[in-house]
Amino acid sequence: MASPFRSLLTLLLLLATCTLAEHTSNWAVLVSTSRFWFNYRHLANVLSLYRTVKRLGIPDSQIILMLPDDMACNPRNAFPGTVYNNADRALDLYGDNIEVDYRGYEVTVENFIRLMTDRVGEDMPRSKRLLTDDRSNILVYMTGHGGNEFLKFQDAEEISAFDLADAFEQMWEKKRYHEMLFMIDTCQANTMYSKFYSPNILATGSSEIDQSSYSHHADNDVGVAVIDRYTYYNLEFLETQVRDPTSKLTMGELFDSYDEELIHSHPGIRYDLFHGGEQAARSRLVMDFFGNVQNVEVEGGGRRNETEWQEELRAIEGMIAEAKRRHNESLHTRPQLEHLVEEVEAVDKLRAQSVRKEGAVRVDEEQGWTKQVVGAAALLGCAGIWVAGSWFESL
Amino acid sequence: MRCQQLSTPRRRHHRKMPPSTQVDALSTPTRAPDGSETAANAAEGAPARRQPPPESNESMWTRRAVIFSFWAVVVFLGLPVWWKTTAIYRADLPLQAMTDWADGKICKPVFPLRIAVEASALQSPDAQHLIRTTQHALDDLNEFSAHHLRLMLADSPWTANLSQQVVSDGLRISGKDEDIALTIRLVPVETGTTPRSHLQQYAPTLDVYYAANQIPPASSTSSPLATFIAHELHKMFAEEQAQLAYLLSTTSSAHSAKIKSLSPETAAELERQSTRALKYAPTYHLTFSLFSPTFVPSAWEIESALQQYLAPLLESFSSISNFTVDSQVQLYAGFSPSIRQPEYDETLNAWTLRKEDLSGFINAAEWPLSPSIGIGPTVNFVLYVPDQSQSPLLVKENGGNSWLIPQWGGVLILNPAQAANTANTPTTLTREALAPAMHTFANQLLSLLGLPQTPNSLPLRLSTLKRVRAASLLFSASSTLGALARLTRALPSIPIPDKVAISVDFTTDHLQQACNNLREGRFQGALEHARIAEAEAEKAFFERSMVGQVYFPDEHKAAVYLPLMGPVAVPLLMAALKEFKGLSARRRG
Repeated sequence: MASPFRSLLTLLLLLATCTLAEHTSNWAVLVSTSRFWFNYRHLANVLSLYRTVKRLGIPDSQIILMLPDDMACNPRNAFPGTVYNNADRALDLYGDNIEVDYRGYEVTVENFIRLMTDRVGEDMPRSKRLLTDDRSNILVYMTGHGGNEFLKFQDAEEISAFDLADAFEQMWEKKRYHEMLFMIDTCQANTMYSKFYSPNILATGSSEIDQSSYSHHADNDVGVAVIDRYTYYNLEFLETQVRDPTSKLTMGELFDSYDEELIHSHPGIRYDLFHGGEQAARSRLVMDFFGNVQNVEVEGGGRRNETEWQEELRAIEGMIAEAKRRHNESLHTRPQLEHLVEEVEAVDKLRAQSVRKEGAVRVDEEQGWTKQVVGAAALLGCAGIWVAGSWFESL
Repeated sequence: MRCQQLSTPRRRHHRKMPPSTQVDALSTPTRAPDGSETAANAAEGAPARRQPPPESNESMWTRRAVIFSFWAVVVFLGLPVWWKTTAIYRADLPLQAMTDWADGKICKPVFPLRIAVEASALQSPDAQHLIRTTQHALDDLNEFSAHHLRLMLADSPWTANLSQQVVSDGLRISGKDEDIALTIRLVPVETGTTPRSHLQQYAPTLDVYYAANQIPPASSTSSPLATFIAHELHKMFAEEQAQLAYLLSTTSSAHSAKIKSLSPETAAELERQSTRALKYAPTYHLTFSLFSPTFVPSAWEIESALQQYLAPLLESFSSISNFTVDSQVQLYAGFSPSIRQPEYDETLNAWTLRKEDLSGFINAAEWPLSPSIGIGPTVNFVLYVPDQSQSPLLVKENGGNSWLIPQWGGVLILNPAQAANTANTPTTLTREALAPAMHTFANQLLSLLGLPQTPNSLPLRLSTLKRVRAASLLFSASSTLGALARLTRALPSIPIPDKVAISVDFTTDHLQQACNNLREGRFQGALEHARIAEAEAEKAFFERSMVGQVYFPDEHKAAVYLPLMGPVAVPLLMAALKEFKGLSARRRG
């Protein structure tokens, strides 16, 4: 009696685990962390990735792009309004349709961690938030100047591998991702993912510890290097092999395309956090992270005949009329439901709160008052000390 | 950084000495850089040079008092202030209770459904007996103990006047109660096959027709009528039971042990449903978009179409979720260029898109979807009118023209010229032309919202959804609490403000109420409480101030403290050391 039950249960569990593989949305967080003209290539790296994921179907609303500097409008740019990732200058990455979510001094470690853990203010627009759930695959791409277990942000601060690992752990705890691909192109990049401990992260980096990550080539007219090697060869694979969203290429094939001779450093891949290990991670499709492919459900098999359809329509209209009638009835009967009153009140209160929150400018009166009182007290205290001091002096 | 560390003490020597050491400095005014020996020689060689007067006892004590007071300020004021200001404030959270909620130890959700039986044609004892036997048969059928159907005898509307005198015996309930999940009306008939049942499509009522001889005699313990009703009820609530069982098994491991095993097909179907359905939100935003690669149609009667075809449906959902709606028209907006162009299919006599291309159909780069307005998640409905030269446009595999994108919305390709048998695409889509699209969108919306497919009665399906949503909210709020508790333990350096503790208390409070409401069968109340609990739990977890760079390497700490503490600490330490040296020298000497 017990054994068939148990086998059914295990079957159910098995089913649950293997069907977990499905995700319903794709998000991309693309971060460049360095400013100034000579870091042109980092911006180009990120914009190239941006263009690729957009081409493969991730909508702008699901791409968080962080650009700390504006190379296109830099006075030293010989080609104003453009950013190129190749000396042939065939493709303007800046184009006319890019949506930067965090720009300039908004690109900070704090903002990045806030974005990942969604600890943002109420006034943060939805387009600048990472609204993922347990069925979202996330691509996190970072580039900049880094070192052993840190990545510099804007020459002013740095994010450590520990902070990054903790942020990802918080995301996992809150079920904010299904699977994550972490990709980083910086010096000693592989140290950045060495501290991760949350499951279902597939991580790859451009170079080992004590190794630099090199740029690919410079454009003499632009005057600086335009792209990094690791990103260049990733893009080469994505642009030449992954032609359209129906591509069935796997992550394993992408990783196998890395050539250390060409990249001039040792790219690393970390499989052990991934559910199912190396084999499962390698069998994930490139489109699972770089594209936005879901299993759509096609409806309306066969061509519906006209009369059947009319009947259906009449039925739905009938249902609608009935719903209306029921609604009207329930409007009349609602006052009789006594035990619901308290809940309704609670909801009303909640609604009232949310209504109050909708104001364009929220002035926190009380906060202002306490601040003023504190300020006045401080001033009075200072004055008191001064008076006391002069009194002591006069003694 | 290292340079600063080294240079700090050296620089100190050039600075002004603190007042306590001034006496020393005066005693050897010409001390040479190579030590006191030179000074001593100089003193011997030049006897004219006057020795400083011996230090008076009073000044010595003053010096000691000064040193002591500096130390006192540092130890009793400085250190506590430093400790206090750099300490991370962590409010006390009921960690154990939070973990217990997440593990499902506090609340075991149960779903007792009350079913009223109206048997106006039966005598009270007969009806009671029938209910008892049916209940018995029902309990035998039920394998999922958390979901329990309880039959009760209801006052029929036409005996309501009489029943006012009847003393309530606990088995009688008023037919007007909101918490009645289903009403069974027993109707005696003389013709047709009996027993037979009819579920009303727009009311939570099941009509059961029976012949008079099918009423079980008082002596028997089972009867065909009772078994029939029990089976009907079991069949009717099978999907709900499966959904709840699946929810319990996936969300918490504690519950999975007692759950009846679902067949693999059912489990797969439920998995598909949960993949498709959106996460619960109190408010959803619906966006209806018309995209056309040409300049026609440039207008659509969307407002009246929505009013007629969708508004009542949305209204019927109002006890579960609210909706905001907007619409847009985009001309010269073709579908995604990255997918294969449609091919002409001779057999279908239409242009066709391959099924695998459909997921790339949405032109995410150029179509302005997801307006990021409103507070809720956006559900997109896209109506695409193809170019005249590519019309009609259909899906190759099944000839359909609509598809659903899980957790995102629906797409429908409208071929208006084909529908209206005209050569040209009309400039305005009338309400009638939009009807099929609205029909499809309504169905898509229902499945995106997670409305179950059976039983074939909208109110019953809505109340099922209400229970499923209440349970899932309960689980998700509980698991958020558990996540917060785990994080609190795992990251000791994260600050936890009082607001979080308050929110956590509020959450557990409402969770408890939701749980109680579930147990008492008040599902609307349970949903309301679970909704508040969920919102509060989210607020607690996503508290804005609970962020910060948690990890500081030791070099950073040294770099922060040395420039500050070094200059203060060196003279303090040196003065204390010197004083102790002098003290011990004097004791010995």
